[in-house]
Amino acid sequence: MQTEPYTKLYLSEHYGNEAFRTLAGYEAAGGFQGLRAALARDPEEVTELVKSSGLRGRGGAGFNAGLKWSFMPKGDERMKVLVCNGDESEPGSFKDRMIMQQGPFQILEGLLIAAWATGARRSYIYIRGEYQYPIQCVRKAVAEMYDKGYLGRDVFGEPGFEHDIVVHSGAGAYICGEETGLLESLEGKKGQPRKKPPFPAQHGAFGLPTTVNNIETFAHVPYILSRGVEWFRGFGTEKSPGTTLFGVSGHVERPGLFELPLGTPLREVIAKAGGVRNNRALKAVIPGGMSMPVLTPSDLDVPMAEEFLSERGTHLGTGGVMVMDDTTCMARVACVISYFFRDESCGQCTQCREGTGWIHKLCERIEAGRGRPRDLELLESVPALMEGHTICAFADAAAWPIKGLLRHFRSDFECHISEGSCPFPESFEL
Amino acid sequence: MAQITIDGETYEVGDGLTILEALDQLGVLMNEVELPHYCWHPKLSVDGSCRLCQVEIEGVPKLQIACNTPVRDGMVIHTKSERVEQARRGVMELLLLNHPLDCPICDQAGECKLQDYAFDYGVKHARTDLPRRPAKKGFELGPTIVFDQERCILCRRCVRFCREVSQTGELGVFQRGERSLLETFPGAELDNPYSMNVADICPVGALTTKDFRFKVRVWFLDDVPSICNQCGRGCNINASRSNNRVYRFVPRRNDAVNQTWICDHGRMSYKGLTEGRCTEARVGSRRVNYDEAVSTAGDRLRSAIDAKRPIVVVASPFASNEDLFVLQRLIGDLGCEPGTFAIERGDSDALLIRADKCPNAEGARALGFLESDAAVGEAAIALVLGRVAPERLVNVETQVQLVSHEADISVSADVVLPVRSHAEYLGSFTNFERRAQRFSPFLEPCFEAWSFGDALTEIARAAKVLGWEQPFDVIRVSRELAQAVPAFAGLDLESLPAEGAPLR
Repeated sequence: MQTEPYTKLYLSEHYGNEAFRTLAGYEAAGGFQGLRAALARDPEEVTELVKSSGLRGRGGAGFNAGLKWSFMPKGDERMKVLVCNGDESEPGSFKDRMIMQQGPFQILEGLLIAAWATGARRSYIYIRGEYQYPIQCVRKAVAEMYDKGYLGRDVFGEPGFEHDIVVHSGAGAYICGEETGLLESLEGKKGQPRKKPPFPAQHGAFGLPTTVNNIETFAHVPYILSRGVEWFRGFGTEKSPGTTLFGVSGHVERPGLFELPLGTPLREVIAKAGGVRNNRALKAVIPGGMSMPVLTPSDLDVPMAEEFLSERGTHLGTGGVMVMDDTTCMARVACVISYFFRDESCGQCTQCREGTGWIHKLCERIEAGRGRPRDLELLESVPALMEGHTICAFADAAAWPIKGLLRHFRSDFECHISEGSCPFPESFEL
Repeated sequence: MAQITIDGETYEVGDGLTILEALDQLGVLMNEVELPHYCWHPKLSVDGSCRLCQVEIEGVPKLQIACNTPVRDGMVIHTKSERVEQARRGVMELLLLNHPLDCPICDQAGECKLQDYAFDYGVKHARTDLPRRPAKKGFELGPTIVFDQERCILCRRCVRFCREVSQTGELGVFQRGERSLLETFPGAELDNPYSMNVADICPVGALTTKDFRFKVRVWFLDDVPSICNQCGRGCNINASRSNNRVYRFVPRRNDAVNQTWICDHGRMSYKGLTEGRCTEARVGSRRVNYDEAVSTAGDRLRSAIDAKRPIVVVASPFASNEDLFVLQRLIGDLGCEPGTFAIERGDSDALLIRADKCPNAEGARALGFLESDAAVGEAAIALVLGRVAPERLVNVETQVQLVSHEADISVSADVVLPVRSHAEYLGSFTNFERRAQRFSPFLEPCFEAWSFGDALTEIARAAKVLGWEQPFDVIRVSRELAQAVPAFAGLDLESLPAEGAPLR
C-alpha cells in the first residue's frame, strides 16, 4: 500500500513519516499552529478568512468552504454540528484514505478550526465501512486528543470552547457520500438523500444545524490559518487555490496519489504517473471520479481545475483521474459505469431508479452485441429524462458519463451494434 | 399572506405553505390548477420522490417540485410550459417502464392515477422493448390487503401512513435502486385497525382490499355521501353503490372530523346494512303487515292515554336528530317522563375510534334525552327505539319496539315495527364534538319499513294524538328543529353544509 504520494507539497509533506501519525509527532511538525492562530481571532473573522482563501470543497462539488460555514445560523440556541465526510465512495478516488491514515490530526485540527468558526459543539467523522484501517487510524488519533485534553471542555485552553468528536463507520453505499444521504445513514436510517429545503445548515444531523465537508477540505484548513491566505493562494489557480491529491489510476505506468497544485495540466498529471502504460496511445481520461464525463487526447492541456474542466463539459470532481489507453472499448466502459449506478441508486426518485436500470440494460445489450440501432437514440435521450430532475445529484452523476462517452466515442457503440461484437480484442474483461 | 401567480391566475395563499399545500387549502388542486402528483398526500409528510409535480418558477433555473417548495410572495409559477410537460412525460415514461400494463385484469382500473395521468400527461407509445421487471402478484400483506408488487410505483404513501397515522410501521421499502421493493418488515404483517386506508391512498393497483377487489368495476359505482354510524366520531364516508347494492365504504375527506381516513371496522360496517335485518312487523308472535302493527300500537297508546296511565319512552343514540326531535315532541304532547337512552361502550384510540359505539349520543343529549341504563318506571306502554336491555323494561306492560335488525328485537316486545337503517333515509347525526352532519339515503329498503320519525308519527296519528295529523316530512321536521332548539339554529338539513357544522 502506498504510504505517501509520489509528489508532495504542503498537505502530504510529512506523509510516510510514522511520527506524523502521533499527536507528539504532529505537534513537533508544527501541528495545531493553525488552530492557535484561529483561536486568536474572532470566529466570524476565521470564517471570512477561509472564505477569502477561496478554498473549494474537495468532495466533488467544489463549493467555497468558508461560504458554506457562513450558512450556519447565528443566534440559534440549538447545538451546532460538523460532519466530516469520509465516505469516499466515488470509483477512482482514494485520496481521503491516505489523509486518514497518514495525517489524521490534520483533519482533527481542521475540524476544531471549523468548530471555532461556526460554534459547533460536536463533530461526526463518517467513514465508509470498508475503510477499517483508516477508521482505526482516525479513532486512535481522536483518543490521543482526548488523552491529552485537546478535546472535550476548554479546548486548547480556550475557556468555554467545548468540542467532541465521534467517529462513525458507514456500511458501504455510494449514496452515503451524498451529504444528506450521509446524514440519514448517520442517524441510523436507510441512506437516502433528503429533499431540500430544509438544508443541512438549518436541519442537518439529528435535526441540528450542520455543516458537512469532505476529509480533504478540513485537512487543508490548518495551513490557511497558520501560513496565511496569500501563501495558500500561491498554489493553484485564481478560482481554485491550493493543492489537491490527484489519484491517478488505470492504464498508467505508476498509478497512485500525487499532490499537485490545482490547475496542473492533465498532461503533466499523467506524466507524473509515468505516462500511458507500455507506451500505448491515450484514448480517454475520466478527470474526477467515475461520475464525470470523459476527456479525450485533444484535452490533454486542460488545467485540472473546475473552471477549466467545466468549459469542456466535465468537472474536477474528486480529482480521481482514470486513464484509458487505446485498447479500451468504450461500450464496455459504459456497461461498467451504468452497472455501478444501477446498483447504487437509492431508488427514491422515479427518474433515477428507473433510468439507471434502463440505461444499464441498454448498455449491457449493446456491449453483448445484441443492441438495436434505436438503442443509441435511447441512450442519448434517457439521461436527458434524469438529469436535473431529482432530489440529489446522483441522477446527474449517472447520466453525465454516458452522455460523455456517446459524444466522444459513438463509433465504439455503433460498431457493437452493427458488427455484433467488440472491435477491441484486448479490452479489459467484464 | 403571499400572492402567487400560477399560469397567469393570481392566488392569495398562507405563508409558510408549500405550493401544493396552498393549492389544496384553496380547494383548487386538480380542478382549477392541474398539478398531477403521486407521492404527495395532504395528510402525510412530504416525500418528494415521485417528481411528477415539478413546476417552473420564474427566476429559478431548475424545475422545482411543488410539494416541497414553499410559496414566496410574488412567486410566478408555470405548470403548463413545455419544460414542465416534458419533465412529466419523462416521469410517466419511466414509471411505466417496468409496469405490467395489466389494466384489463387490474381492479384499480377506472380509479387509477397511473392510468389517468398516463392518458393526460404521458406518452402514448412505449419506447422500450426490454422485458419488464417481474415481481410478486396477488400477495397478501395481512388479513385485509392484497399486494401486487409489479404495479407498485414506490410512492411510499402506504409506508408513511403506517408510520405517521396508524403508527404501526409495518411497511418499508427494501433493497435500493431499481430493485427497490415495498414489503412488510420481516415477521410483520399489515394488520392494524386502519390497515385498509392504504388501499385508498395507493394511487395505483398495488394495494387493494381483499373485501372489495374483483367485486365490481368502479365505473359502475356511484358514490353517495354519508356518515359512519359505528362510533361517536361520525367519520365522513362515501357509500359506493350499484343496483341498490352497496359495495364499499370509502372515507370522504373532512379535515375537522376524520381527515381522509376511516377505521377498518367502520369501513366493513356496510355489510351490516343488509345482513340480519328485521323485515316483518309483528304483534306478539304473529307476523302482520305494517298497517296492522301501526294501528295495534296506536290503539294501545290511545288506551294508555285514555286511562291516564304512565307512558315511557326509550330513545336510541342511533336515531337521527330529526327522529329524536319528533320523539321529544311526542313526549311533550303525551306528558310522559323525560326519555332516556343507553350507550354501548367499547375500545377507543387516539386517532378516530371513540368508546361510545353510536353516532348520535350528543344529538340525544342536545335534544334533552338523559343517558341512563336503569330500569324505566311502571308504565302501561313503552315506545322503544332500537336495541334495549330487557331488564330495563320489567315494569312495562306493553312494549312497542322499532328496530332495524333482528338481533335487536327484545324477547318481551309486544309490537315490533321494522325501521330503516341510516342507509335508507335522510337525516343528521351530531358527533362527539357536537358537530351536526347530514347523511343521505343510498339504498332502497327491500321490504316495508319507515324511519324512526316516520314510524313514530304514524303511531301518534293512529292514536289520534292531538296535533299529530300531518304525516312525517323530514325536511319540514328539520326546519322545525332548527327553529325550536337553539343549538340547532340554522342547521336544518337543507342549510347544513357538506362538511357539517358545530351545534350553536
